[in-house]
Amino acid sequence: MFEHVLSVIIFLPILAGLILLATPASRSVARFTGLAVSLATLVLSLDLYAGFQATGHLEFVENIPWIESLGISYALGVDGISLFILMAGSVLLPLVYFVFGTREKGYYANLLLVQGAMAGAVCAADMILFYIFWEVMLLPVFFMLGLYGGPQRLPATLKITLYTIAGSLLMLAAIVYLGVSYHAQFGEWSFAMDKMAALNLTGRVAAVAFFGFMIAFAIKIPLFPFHTWLPDAYTEAPTATTFVLSAIMAKIGVYGVIRFVVPVFDLEFARFAILLAYAGVIGMMYCGLAAIAQKDFKRMLAFSSASHMGVIALGVFCMNIQALTGSIYQIVAHATSTGVLFLFAGILEERTNTRTIDDLGGIAAKAPVFALYFAIAMLASVGLPGTSGFIGEFMIVLGAIKFNTAVGVLAGTTLIIGVCYMLWMFQRVFFEKTASRSENFKELSLVEGLAFLPVILLIIVMGIYPHPFLSKITPSTALQFAQPASVVAQAPASNAQNLGLTIEQK
Amino acid sequence: MEQSVNYLGLIPLFPLLGAVLIGLLHVFTCNRTKLPEKVYGILACVGPVLSFVMALKVFVALKGLPPESRFLVHKAFTWFSVGDLHINMGFLADPLSCLMLLFVTFIGSLIHIYSIGYMGGDKNYGKFFAYMNLFLGSMLVLVLGDGPVVMFVGWEGVGLCSYLLISFYSEDRSNVLAGNKAFIVNRVGDLGFVLGMSFLFWAIGAQGFDYLSLKAHVNDPAMTQGVLLTVCLLLFVGATGKSAQIPLYVWLPDAMAGPTPVSALIHAATMVTAGVYMVARFSFLYAEVALAGSIVAWVGILTALLAAIFGMFQEDIKKVLAYSTVSQLGYMFAGVGVAAYSAGIFHVFTHAFFKALLFLGAGSVIYALHHEQNIWKMGGLKNKMPKTYVTMVIGALALAGCPPFSGFFSKDEILYSALATGHFGIWAVGVLVAGMTAYYTFRMIFVVFHGEPRDHHAYEHAQESPAVMTVPLIILAVGALFAGLLNLPAIFGGDQIVSHWLAPSVTEHHPHAGVFIEILAIGASVVAFAIGIKIAYAKFGKGAPEPSFTGFADFAYHKFYVDELYDKVIVQPYKAIGSSIWKVIEPNVTDAPVKGVARLYMVLGTAFKVFQVGYVRVYALYMVLGLSLMSLLLSQSLN
Repeated sequence: MFEHVLSVIIFLPILAGLILLATPASRSVARFTGLAVSLATLVLSLDLYAGFQATGHLEFVENIPWIESLGISYALGVDGISLFILMAGSVLLPLVYFVFGTREKGYYANLLLVQGAMAGAVCAADMILFYIFWEVMLLPVFFMLGLYGGPQRLPATLKITLYTIAGSLLMLAAIVYLGVSYHAQFGEWSFAMDKMAALNLTGRVAAVAFFGFMIAFAIKIPLFPFHTWLPDAYTEAPTATTFVLSAIMAKIGVYGVIRFVVPVFDLEFARFAILLAYAGVIGMMYCGLAAIAQKDFKRMLAFSSASHMGVIALGVFCMNIQALTGSIYQIVAHATSTGVLFLFAGILEERTNTRTIDDLGGIAAKAPVFALYFAIAMLASVGLPGTSGFIGEFMIVLGAIKFNTAVGVLAGTTLIIGVCYMLWMFQRVFFEKTASRSENFKELSLVEGLAFLPVILLIIVMGIYPHPFLSKITPSTALQFAQPASVVAQAPASNAQNLGLTIEQK
Repeated sequence: MEQSVNYLGLIPLFPLLGAVLIGLLHVFTCNRTKLPEKVYGILACVGPVLSFVMALKVFVALKGLPPESRFLVHKAFTWFSVGDLHINMGFLADPLSCLMLLFVTFIGSLIHIYSIGYMGGDKNYGKFFAYMNLFLGSMLVLVLGDGPVVMFVGWEGVGLCSYLLISFYSEDRSNVLAGNKAFIVNRVGDLGFVLGMSFLFWAIGAQGFDYLSLKAHVNDPAMTQGVLLTVCLLLFVGATGKSAQIPLYVWLPDAMAGPTPVSALIHAATMVTAGVYMVARFSFLYAEVALAGSIVAWVGILTALLAAIFGMFQEDIKKVLAYSTVSQLGYMFAGVGVAAYSAGIFHVFTHAFFKALLFLGAGSVIYALHHEQNIWKMGGLKNKMPKTYVTMVIGALALAGCPPFSGFFSKDEILYSALATGHFGIWAVGVLVAGMTAYYTFRMIFVVFHGEPRDHHAYEHAQESPAVMTVPLIILAVGALFAGLLNLPAIFGGDQIVSHWLAPSVTEHHPHAGVFIEILAIGASVVAFAIGIKIAYAKFGKGAPEPSFTGFADFAYHKFYVDELYDKVIVQPYKAIGSSIWKVIEPNVTDAPVKGVARLYMVLGTAFKVFQVGYVRVYALYMVLGLSLMSLLLSQSLN
């Protein structure tokens, strides 16, 4: 393990993507480069994971002063919360180079750029740095959607752009507000995330800043009612982009809430948590109900994904360790189940030239391995015990019951809602009589089968033996709940220590 | 107090490994070379038989311990642990789970063997056995789990297998729909289970969320009557799903779409009794709130009545048996509801034998008649299939509650307990249902085996099934005959071995109501049985034409249109809400502000477009105007 491993995980894909853009590489070279880089990143990430000590605090910290006059630094680090989002990206992204036919060079370049930027957003320990990565990770999505998307891509791009610009502006304003407040309260400039918890924020401006962050993240998650960009964007985007959006980028929205909103705006958060929790639950039900009306399986998965994100977000709002830990676990579970289902949907589309559920049928008889993989991912998505989906969902519902009985009971209905649309779709696509379009459906090739195997196994292992994974998460989530009390009690002392430390460093 | 033995974990592991192995073999060979069926058949039986052997070992080990310390535990690993929540993948063998274990593995093994014959020639032979093994493994997790969460793993696992096996012949849409229905209805129940577990956890779960810890803390101040009632009723909602009780019973008759061995194993002998097991497992909770018990008992007995009414008018042999299962499950809940947990579990035990026997017998008939299931196409088969006939009559007598067959003793114990604890209403309905049971059971027997053949072509080709199918029938028939003797009450000179065996596991007090009540209970049951069978004989004993139904009979034949009602009231509105969200609410309400913003930009853009005329002199004019405005403002502010 070397010192700047996080920087390498972030900038290796970004550099590779930029080089691809700048050079006249062929399509297959681009695809191979993407695969090689993503596998290299995977190896580094696994090494990182193995070396992660689960202290609860940031590890693998890199801190280089950047704009010293404003206290902005190039600061990176991972804790048990960010580690799992980082890992989900590193583990899953190589998959997109294995499946589907070879596409344009720019498509692969953008995939690499988005991978690096997402890793950056997750690892950033400085708010300005976070903001930069946040913005950078959105650009490739626009390009992929706008350039390589489906026939209705332009309205979808317009909508996602409007939403994103609104969110980003609000977030930037809120970040600046935090920096300025920090300067006002402690007499020095800093944008370090871990220092913001010490801020004492009150009044209307604090509430506005709270909503600034909250809306920015709510759009990204997306939280009801800010989800309306999602069905169009997820459906029209190339499958790999949809996969990136749902499996990882949506999670960075949740991560933002955990990192910025919960520790910094603890008072506002406690006040509005019930409102947000209802937004999560209503979103889960609303999108889950809308999913059953879909005729296009990709759009159905889009609504399904939004429905599950409602539950994941709910876990963060319940303010207890079971629900929060459940959310983090569910982030990975959702990435490996719904994310992978999107890839399978892409395979279905590519091989049958249709996304209409009713055009298909009888695929299980034609491609048993594909059907088995699909079924396992689907069962994880509906939270069957023995798969990764159960552990997180159970802890979120359990925590929600403690937080608020009504919210908990409503959250529990996800057990029923998810299974309705999923089984109905599975029936019409995989069972019943073989439709003409699926008559010649090709089974997964050996390479595809082997590429998906680790993820499918991960779904099962994470369901049967979650303890090793959870033991890396819980120290950090426990700290989330330990912090506010200690901060309130020892605020002056710790501030003084912070000041002392910075002076010593200088 | 409790002893740790690591072989407990092996019991569910054997069939689970079998499932993985068979499943992989099937997936990788099914579209290319076909493995011989023998390979799958033998592999499939290894797991269940090994589990049965281990179950015997557990039984011997428990027997060797003094009754009050008959607990064997095994903690395989920490499953998950967050904050106060500590869940082990742990197993508990006590007298209750051991009894379940013995008959589940025994009957499971027999049905696996039977299936080797029954499923012969099926193109998905391997897949069938993979699912069956997976089912048995899940069922054993359910039974052996040391706490509610581990039980829930098995609980949902058996639900999944049930779904997979109901939709086994998946080319046919109606089979898959039946599978979906089973899964979704069960999920409704599972929501109750999860919520019940959650409330229980927040009350006393932090001190350990396994049965033994929970039992030790049941009198904590956090366990108020309100919490207890909530938890008991929510868990019972789970039980009504899995065990097909009102209002969630609707999936079980449809579940008959699966292969007959599946109906015997999953939808009669084992999985559907999981709800009863769960209530008995939580007897320490139910014993604390009488109201919860009464609700359980009334739901049970009313389900028994309703299903018996439906059972009297069915024409599909498997549906007759399916409703009889729902009805018998109702009895079991009546038993555990009136706090006669050992009586309820004893009925689970005897029912497993005679109902598995009846289903396998029905399977033998169906097999002989090339998948004909309508009893009005059968008749006179007793000469053609003597072994099937004799064994099925034994099963029917046990189901109908004829002394001294097993069903008589177990059902009588439940009805006696209801009477002795003062639940007269439940007892009275129970006796009525006993008569109806005798009637519809023997209606089936007479129509299928007696009289003249109705379909001569099918009759000519019918022949007795092979030994691999009839031997399990004979073994089960022996069980159906004698299993009742295990819990012979004192009045017949027995000493209730099963009740005593279960005593350390369940929280119950045996009521002593006196010999008169006991004789009354027995007498009423016997009379009800006699009347039921007499009417059945009078109507169908010498052959009868297919009846046409009118009035109430027609209403009952259509199962009171409950399925249609659910479809109108739940399924259709659910879909309508889904599509109205998608087609109406999303574009016109939720998305309206976003569209509004987009439109605003368009309007602003159009408005400003007017000024963008493209002439340099106009832009120069704008500059001059702007500069003058600025200097005006500046000069004002400087002043």
